[in-house]
Amino acid sequence: MAEAPLVEIRDLSLRYATARGKVQALDRVSLSLGRGSAMGLVGESGSGKSSLVLAMLGLLGKGAEISAEGVQFDGQDLLTTAAALRGRRIGMVFQDPAAALNPGMTIGFQIAEPLIQHRHMPERDALARAVALLTEVGVPRAESVARSYPHQLSGGMKQRAVIATALACEPELLLLDEPTTALDVTVEAQILDLLDRLRRQRGVSLLLVSHNLGIVDRLCDSVTVLYAGRVVEQGGTDAILGAPRHPYTRGLLAALPQADEGKLSRLTPIPGGLPDLTIPDPGCNFRARCAFAVDACVHPQPVTGVGGHMVRCHRAEAVRTLPLPVDTGARSITRKPDLARPLLQGTELSRTFRMGGALSFDFRKGLPRIVPATEVVAVDNVSFHVGRGEVLGLVGESGCGKSTLGRLALRLLAASAGRISLDGKAVPASPDREFRRRAQIVFQNPDSSLNPRHTVAQALRWPVVRFGIAKGAAADREVDRLLELVRLPPTYRSRYPHQMSGGEKQRIGIARALASRPDFLVCDEAVSALDVSVQAAVLNLLADLRDELGLAYLFISHDIGVIAHVADRIAVMYRGAIVEQGDAAQVLAPPYHPYTEALLSSVPLVGSKSRSLHRVRLAGDASAVPPAGGCRFAPRCPRHMGSICDTVEPPVRLGAEGHQIACHQPMEALAAIPPALGRVA
Amino acid sequence: MVVYLLRRIVAVIGVVWAMTVLVFAIVHLLPGSVAHMILGEFATADAIAALEERLGLNDPLPVQYWRWFSGLLQGDFGMSLTMDRPVGPILFEALGRSAILAGISIVLVAIVGIALGVHSAVHRGSVADHVLTTAQYTLIAIPEFFWCIVVILVFAAWLGWLPATGYTSIADGGVLGWARHLILPVSTLVLGLIAHVSRMTRSSMLEAIESRYVLAARAKGLPERIVLYRHALPNALLPAITVLAIDMGLLIGGIVVVETVFAYPGLGRLLIYAIDNQDLPLMMGGMILVTSVYALSNLVADICYALLNPRIRYGGATA
Amino acid sequence: MSAAIAMPAWRRLPLGLTLGGTIVAIVLVLAVIGPWIVPYEPDAFSMRERLHPPSAAHWFGTDEFGRDVFSRVLAGAHYSLIMGFGATGISLAIGVPLGMVAAFHRGWVDEAIMRGVDLMISIPPVLLGLLILATTEPGVAKTVISVGIVYVPIMTRLSRAVALGLLAEDFVDAARARGDGAIRILWREILPNAWPPIIVETALRITFAILLGSALSFLGLGTQPPASEWGLMIAEGRPFIEEAPWIALAPGLCLCLLLIMVNMVGEGLRDLLDPRLQGRGHG
Repeated sequence: MAEAPLVEIRDLSLRYATARGKVQALDRVSLSLGRGSAMGLVGESGSGKSSLVLAMLGLLGKGAEISAEGVQFDGQDLLTTAAALRGRRIGMVFQDPAAALNPGMTIGFQIAEPLIQHRHMPERDALARAVALLTEVGVPRAESVARSYPHQLSGGMKQRAVIATALACEPELLLLDEPTTALDVTVEAQILDLLDRLRRQRGVSLLLVSHNLGIVDRLCDSVTVLYAGRVVEQGGTDAILGAPRHPYTRGLLAALPQADEGKLSRLTPIPGGLPDLTIPDPGCNFRARCAFAVDACVHPQPVTGVGGHMVRCHRAEAVRTLPLPVDTGARSITRKPDLARPLLQGTELSRTFRMGGALSFDFRKGLPRIVPATEVVAVDNVSFHVGRGEVLGLVGESGCGKSTLGRLALRLLAASAGRISLDGKAVPASPDREFRRRAQIVFQNPDSSLNPRHTVAQALRWPVVRFGIAKGAAADREVDRLLELVRLPPTYRSRYPHQMSGGEKQRIGIARALASRPDFLVCDEAVSALDVSVQAAVLNLLADLRDELGLAYLFISHDIGVIAHVADRIAVMYRGAIVEQGDAAQVLAPPYHPYTEALLSSVPLVGSKSRSLHRVRLAGDASAVPPAGGCRFAPRCPRHMGSICDTVEPPVRLGAEGHQIACHQPMEALAAIPPALGRVA
Repeated sequence: MVVYLLRRIVAVIGVVWAMTVLVFAIVHLLPGSVAHMILGEFATADAIAALEERLGLNDPLPVQYWRWFSGLLQGDFGMSLTMDRPVGPILFEALGRSAILAGISIVLVAIVGIALGVHSAVHRGSVADHVLTTAQYTLIAIPEFFWCIVVILVFAAWLGWLPATGYTSIADGGVLGWARHLILPVSTLVLGLIAHVSRMTRSSMLEAIESRYVLAARAKGLPERIVLYRHALPNALLPAITVLAIDMGLLIGGIVVVETVFAYPGLGRLLIYAIDNQDLPLMMGGMILVTSVYALSNLVADICYALLNPRIRYGGATA
Repeated sequence: MSAAIAMPAWRRLPLGLTLGGTIVAIVLVLAVIGPWIVPYEPDAFSMRERLHPPSAAHWFGTDEFGRDVFSRVLAGAHYSLIMGFGATGISLAIGVPLGMVAAFHRGWVDEAIMRGVDLMISIPPVLLGLLILATTEPGVAKTVISVGIVYVPIMTRLSRAVALGLLAEDFVDAARARGDGAIRILWREILPNAWPPIIVETALRITFAILLGSALSFLGLGTQPPASEWGLMIAEGRPFIEEAPWIALAPGLCLCLLLIMVNMVGEGLRDLLDPRLQGRGHG
């Protein structure tokens, strides 16, 4: 019994004009989505996945040339009827809720608009329905929220409101473009639960665009993998993610650092970069990067497959059992970190920020009073240490203070209190040149970390000269050496940042940090802005550099998978304090701090559906102000013990080998928590 | 929002007060004694001394300042040296007439400028858009006093349709007579400013049209008309308010020139008269008055902005 | 990867820039050599030839004193250019360092500078010019200085905003992490990235500086007779607008042309420099 699919796309192609010429963004893409089922559209940047969704709704601009053999929604041609279906039978959820909501309109009105427009409801009824929708998507105090403006809500609330808007007219299909990328992991988990529930309760079909394979595994029945505008693999989620056939899909999964895999030896990056989309390749457009490419790959590749699992690769069967080449790195000496003497030690560091002007008025109690401006404690009495050659992973969600702590450690930001010492010697607030030489930083955003007016040679040469490492011709040779260290050819010397890709810029940032031959690097979300395949290469590079040069890292990230992969020790931060720290293996396994437990169980992992997992969900987000004096996690803690959590600062419990947890719960209770990850290395 | 407005009111008061200090300082501290300036180069020493005594110029500066300033606070602007009348009433009468010019002009600039800018943005790339954009480039650059001359030449001298100079009140000439005297000055005032406002409105409207929330509104299936005028336009108007506030300043400058050319008896012309004839109390009072008017108009613009921008109006977080 | 487009360099520039730039350059040359190539002495009276319309002998006619209008226009061109470039140069020289210092130091230095800027911006430009000129002996130099002072606050605000934006970038933090000092950071990291928006604003300011300067001269407070500054000539030609319109129209049209062309150059620069600023980085 074959029920007609809800969405049927056959050979959809998309071209549009850019400054560089006409780009073939999509090339004969086909997919089919049944009623009530969910499909994940997976790809990295440049894969065309977002364009596909916009093309379906007819929201691409005038310069877009769309051709297709058939694009059908419920039997009707979608390309001509899209305008009538938008908001009515097809809803759309965009990535960034702050940008997708009109800042000048109330939430309630924005949700009610499609109802007024498509169902011709009177405004009052529509607003009432909007409140009901908000409650359905899990927004507390829905009436008050409906009267609020977007800037008054947190990110998670805004996204729920956007989902409510998309659901207003009870559509049969929901298109979601990276709906949780802009959200914290714990909030993301709540939204994913919501989407799952909505799908089951309302029977709405989902087309979910995402680069995150874990989310796709969690929510979707089927997957379509896009590479450079072409479908390379398609089929059921379990089949594709469990036993991928196309080399690109296999590469994606091998490049993914997963929290439950712990510290494996190496990730497998996908070398090379995207092909030039202005020149469509008649053969396989992945062959330049494929480990199994042969001459026959030059010919056009048809999509073949059996049992609903389609692959665009003529060698898929042949290479199924061949392993992907492992990126060994030139020299692999695995050094053990020297834990006897910590290299960098931070003691009782604090930093407060003052918000707003020096004074402000407080009207809340009737008569206006002048009050000093509110203060935010970004880092609260934090102590940590990093040994020689050791990687300390600092993990937490947005606003927890991890980036601030990273900058405090380098004295890039003045500390309100606390001490720092390097090799036992105290580091003053204005450190000397030697400290600056030995302690450097790698930044997150490749677009902002390099001066757009400096060539690579200029950017690298300056720190070399400045720290007296070399001068004149010797400095030029040093620049070449640095380029080699980060696996870039010497021809990159004369390149400007706008001539390089994100991964390359990030490597230059690393090279610049290494120019002064430091001992200690702060990596502030150094790989977070990169695609998974590129990220793997940079992570491998960082691991190799650590082995070769004996560097110590303070590795800051919000991504538990990355942290689990690189860190020797992990510190978990929440609202300015370290709530748990210890060896990586210890932190990832029970005993857990309640926040660590929630964090680990929120991360969407590939393959987690098959395991029976212990899931903890936090309510709300981190913006609720904790009561003064008590545990900062108390307002959200699922293991809240009573008034002691609200009034008394939690003691630091000691576990095995330096494992520390700040909690009122006794260690035995915390050790009894079931593991939040399926398996731990 | 209240905090925001209180801060702005304090700022306005501060600016006006600082202006009084600035005006006083520049007049009294620059080389050449004040009396010398008034009486000219050939005055005798006795005449200068007498005038200085009469004007209280021998007292220490802070005392002189306080005398003038406290007078200002009570509404006493001093005596005009050339007209032998209190300065205050002269100023306010002229202010009233200038206000008519300014009021009509700013309303015209706002309506026409914003409408043209929005139309240009909505029909981007059309013939109308190109014509408007080219016109904007040229009109912004043409000086007002030149426009005045051309306009007088064409409409008053050659065609004889409209009077070149002067002013009649409604009482004397009826509404039509009153209006006829206003048409030429107003049209020269507004041309450059309409070009400026329409240009700024066009770019802020384009920014709104290309924003994510407009795309999201389209994705909701709303008709294009609603998307443009209910979603994009209100957000595009906010920057327009700021532009209009800046243009008030340019308008005031334009009024000084236009009133001079058209011999329109307003505050601008009075100011030039005071400067030409070294009538210091009149000049100082006029400057303070004009600055206060400008500061107040900025305050009104800030209030409008605060009312229309939910971020300022409501502040804070609820969920 | 961006590849250089294989077109002759000048054709890649916006039209306004090339067209406007050419004409402004011509005016510049004429302004410099003007006093030497005038057909008649600009100050030469000739009561017999007063108020003659344009003819072969006098291309722009003569004024009420019989002076050749064309010669006067040519000889007076340099006043407008001095006004434009001189006044803008002053506002640049004072405003940009002030803005950068305010952005870099924040704190009370920033507050003090910005309060001063806010105060001066609260005064309408013409009024500020009037105020300064009314109380001193008018003249070219004073007019240039007054107009320059009038525009200092705008340049301060702009360069402060640009500097603040740049100081937030990570590469500045990288410089701090190297221990680079304030001067070095401003010179090496900030300025090379700051000059495009500042150049654009400067070019646009030149238009307004010429406008304001000629308006002040028109009102009798700027350049004084017998100098043949164009605004002044328009004022002098005003009483004869009916019988001899060319006296005011000739300098007026030249002034308009110059202003429009300078504005086009400014706009062209903005088209050229702004999109490049936003075009950095790859997806």
